[in-house]
Amino acid sequence: MDFRKTAAFFVTVIACIIFLGASGVKAGEPYNLGVALGLTGAGALYSADGVEGIKLAVEEINAKGGFLGQHKVELFIRDSQTKPDVGVREVKDLILRDKIRAVINDYSSAVAMAVKPIAQEYKVLHIASISNSENITKINPSPYTFQVVPNSYMQAKAASVGIAKIANQKGWKEYITIASDYEWGRSTQAEAVKFLKELAPNLTLKKEFWPRLGETQFTSYITGIMAMKPDFVFGSVASNDNVAWMEQAKTYGFFDKIPYPGSLITVTELQLQAKTLPRNMIALTRAPFFAHMDNPMMTDFVKNYRAKYNKFPSDWAVLSYDAVYALKQGVEKAKTIDTEKVKDAMKGMTVNLTRGKLAFRTIDNQLSCSSYMGTIADDPRYPFPIYKEIVEVKGSESERPESEILEARKAAK
Amino acid sequence: MDITSLFTQFLSGLTYGTILFLVAAGLSLIFGVMNILNFAHAALWLMGAYFSYTFWNLMQDYSFGFWLSIPLAGLAAAAVGWVMEVVLIKRIYKRELYEQLLITYSIALILSDTIKLTWGVTNKLIVRPEIIQKPVFIFGAPLDSYFIFVILAGAAVASGLWWFLKYTRYGHIVKAAVHSREMVAALGIPIPRIYTWVFTLGIFLAGFAGGIQAPIGSITLGMDTAIIIQAFCVVVIGGFGSLLGTLVGSLIVGEVMSFTILFWPEGAMVLIFVITAAILIVRPWGLFGTPMRT
Amino acid sequence: MKNKYLFPVALFLLAIALPYIVPEFWVHVLTEILIMGLFAASFNMVFGYMGQLTFGHAAYYGVGAYTTGLLMVKANVPLLLCLPLSMLSAGLCAAVLGYFCVKLRGIYFAILTMAFGQLVYYIIFQWYSFTGGDNGLQGIVPPAFLGKAANPYYFFTLIVVAIGMIALWIISESPFGYTMRAIRDNAERTEFIGINVQRYMHLNFIIAAMFAGLAGALWGPFNRSVAPDLCNWQHSGMPVFMTVMGGPFNFLGPLIGSAIYTMLMAFVTSFTEYWPMVSGIIIILVVLLLPGGLLGLLEDKFPFLRRKDDSEKGAEE
Repeated sequence: MDFRKTAAFFVTVIACIIFLGASGVKAGEPYNLGVALGLTGAGALYSADGVEGIKLAVEEINAKGGFLGQHKVELFIRDSQTKPDVGVREVKDLILRDKIRAVINDYSSAVAMAVKPIAQEYKVLHIASISNSENITKINPSPYTFQVVPNSYMQAKAASVGIAKIANQKGWKEYITIASDYEWGRSTQAEAVKFLKELAPNLTLKKEFWPRLGETQFTSYITGIMAMKPDFVFGSVASNDNVAWMEQAKTYGFFDKIPYPGSLITVTELQLQAKTLPRNMIALTRAPFFAHMDNPMMTDFVKNYRAKYNKFPSDWAVLSYDAVYALKQGVEKAKTIDTEKVKDAMKGMTVNLTRGKLAFRTIDNQLSCSSYMGTIADDPRYPFPIYKEIVEVKGSESERPESEILEARKAAK
Repeated sequence: MDITSLFTQFLSGLTYGTILFLVAAGLSLIFGVMNILNFAHAALWLMGAYFSYTFWNLMQDYSFGFWLSIPLAGLAAAAVGWVMEVVLIKRIYKRELYEQLLITYSIALILSDTIKLTWGVTNKLIVRPEIIQKPVFIFGAPLDSYFIFVILAGAAVASGLWWFLKYTRYGHIVKAAVHSREMVAALGIPIPRIYTWVFTLGIFLAGFAGGIQAPIGSITLGMDTAIIIQAFCVVVIGGFGSLLGTLVGSLIVGEVMSFTILFWPEGAMVLIFVITAAILIVRPWGLFGTPMRT
Repeated sequence: MKNKYLFPVALFLLAIALPYIVPEFWVHVLTEILIMGLFAASFNMVFGYMGQLTFGHAAYYGVGAYTTGLLMVKANVPLLLCLPLSMLSAGLCAAVLGYFCVKLRGIYFAILTMAFGQLVYYIIFQWYSFTGGDNGLQGIVPPAFLGKAANPYYFFTLIVVAIGMIALWIISESPFGYTMRAIRDNAERTEFIGINVQRYMHLNFIIAAMFAGLAGALWGPFNRSVAPDLCNWQHSGMPVFMTVMGGPFNFLGPLIGSAIYTMLMAFVTSFTEYWPMVSGIIIILVVLLLPGGLLGLLEDKFPFLRRKDDSEKGAEE
């Protein structure tokens, strides 16, 4: 008995030593870049693509000697578990132990918002490449936090403009919303409802459905909505859940009866549901590579991405790749990797990205980037459907007016 | 609300209840016989879904592949369950409650990561055969045609288990073991072997349920954490170890979910926990359980 | 008798010295260890001393965290006032929910506490206008006198946790604490000698929840934000691991367990995303090979550490 316990004790001690040893080795590399994304749980799929985009960008940059040709970029990748408290802990760890100068984070807006003040306290750049809640930059702004993805306001506005046009054409009267019960789903739904009230005053919101984040059984929602016979349904359902919801709704013949315009269907879903996605649906996305194949940076990126990972890049890969390049150009403009100077350089800066020449807004560090709407249709060049008749809603057409941002900030105080 | 939409909602609840029943049946069986609350049950359910995807993928060229992959998923999960029982679970039957919970919870963590290592983070989608891609209409109420199969499978599992417990020798032993292990052991019946097989059967049911779940929506990591809690609620409401209770419990949870979504969407989950807590307070052994062990 | 206070005092001195020795990151880890240690110790009032497994203790921790978070963000209440108010709100919550829980034993107790825990979680999650839903609350900044560096807040936490631990120690060594042990070992016999078992258990449950609330109150200003995840069932599992690792039959076991678990996770998560697998394997090894936790093992090796009344292990059904 005693022997067993002693053995167990030593096994534990040795295990601890191994852990210490493994994490203790840290070569002092010049530019340490942290990545904290939700690698487990609901965010795993998008985050994995994001990491791939980042890795590719870093590889390309390091092949040319790193930032400014002399600072090799070293990546430190952590799992935020899509939980705010874990995200904060991991980012603190990245900052204090791995000495990162910038962190790309997160899949979940709730995590990004929790990380924002930490990055500000430690004076570390914080770039949001997947999470897109407007609140990340709108209220309590941090000069260290930048957002390279169209935020929830911009996306909702883009979707509403498109929907309002169709609604007015077809004389739609009633609609229902279904949105995942978390930050992104909530804010997108709220903004869209507000815009629709302005743009199509005849519309009335009949009911709101809030499936839990991570819901797998949508049957009751589907039949519930169908029973109410709305003219259309607006959805902001999160990634994995969106796939489940659409697959299940389809088997009920939902989309044959009820239009479902303007929901987020990214390149991930286009690939994943290539066979089953209903065609001719009008959808919205954030950074589809096929919309910018005329930009050499995008064509190169797609080529290299395909060579490395043997697949087409999703929006998340594009956005995260862009995040690294925005940072690179910030460093080049500042002519130093000193975070304070890079932060100042990036303020209001115009960057050259796969999505074209885009500028960060001075007021909130939000990249003035486009949202994309289009009709889902097959294309012989790709093994999955893409958007046809793409409408690119520019950042300038969809951003919240600066006066409203200032008002919101005043109200938050 | 007209009668058709109420009926539609009832059907939705019925299908959801059936899926819950398939998950909870194994959970309840294992708890009833061995007194082990298996946190890893949903992880094995999810593994079953992934197994079924793999089998379907391998047999894509054959029309029977879709259907065959579901029981095969059950068998593959059962194999994992058997190994789990022989290596680990066997050692904790006589341990304290918290030790059992911690061990099965740890197994759930390990299995989730195993799934991630084996199948990656990409969602898996099973494309259904032509005949079950469209809805059917029952008295004007739409129903996903695959759910007819789901409900039939649920009924088959329920009646199969009932027959097994009522008419077979093993069933009698298992039922006796629910009431008094000591007595069964005294009769010279090898309890450890019975336990191994009951556990394996329970996990077979989990894997089978996973296989059934697979063609509904997509298969993703983390699906298991949500359903395990709901399955616990089902087992609590119905009563530990009672097959009938599990059936009734799942239907209650399924229907409550389905109708609260219609009338009070935000309250669906809250209401489930209120019911569970109320049952525990008034009748800790559940609607159909027997008050014996605490 | 001398030995009795040697270990805790040495530990406290070590805790004062450590921030001056270790790098800043580890000061954050130490703060987390203390907060989670108090949380685990409060859990052990129910688990180790009352012999019931609660799987919903995070609910009270979360109620405490949200009380402080809401008071600080929405009403600018000073942190020092928030701490007792958090204890109060967690205690009130436990007074209502615990009333039902203590009617049950064993697995039913575990499941009812879990169901109530999830209930609290969903209410916080759904009550968007008040709690911020899944966003949680941001901008919970510790008061100016604690500054923004890691050390001052660590020392503040150390003082609060030390006071909390001493209070728990006094309670567990009081006649009330011994009654709890008696109930744990044989509830029926305790009832026969004229003790209202349920009332005692209820009171103990409230006390445990209050200290969980205190621990939760410390979390928000430390992390600058709170989120509903703090109250769900997975978070309720944390004090269980910690207590089992450190040793449930020793007063300091949960704190030691918190130290082991938190440090281990700080190591593991820094080099693999497969931390769940590593933690799963470690927990299995601990449960199978170290039934008394680390302190249980040390007591076996060095019998002088053992205290008489705690040496007989809990007689749960």
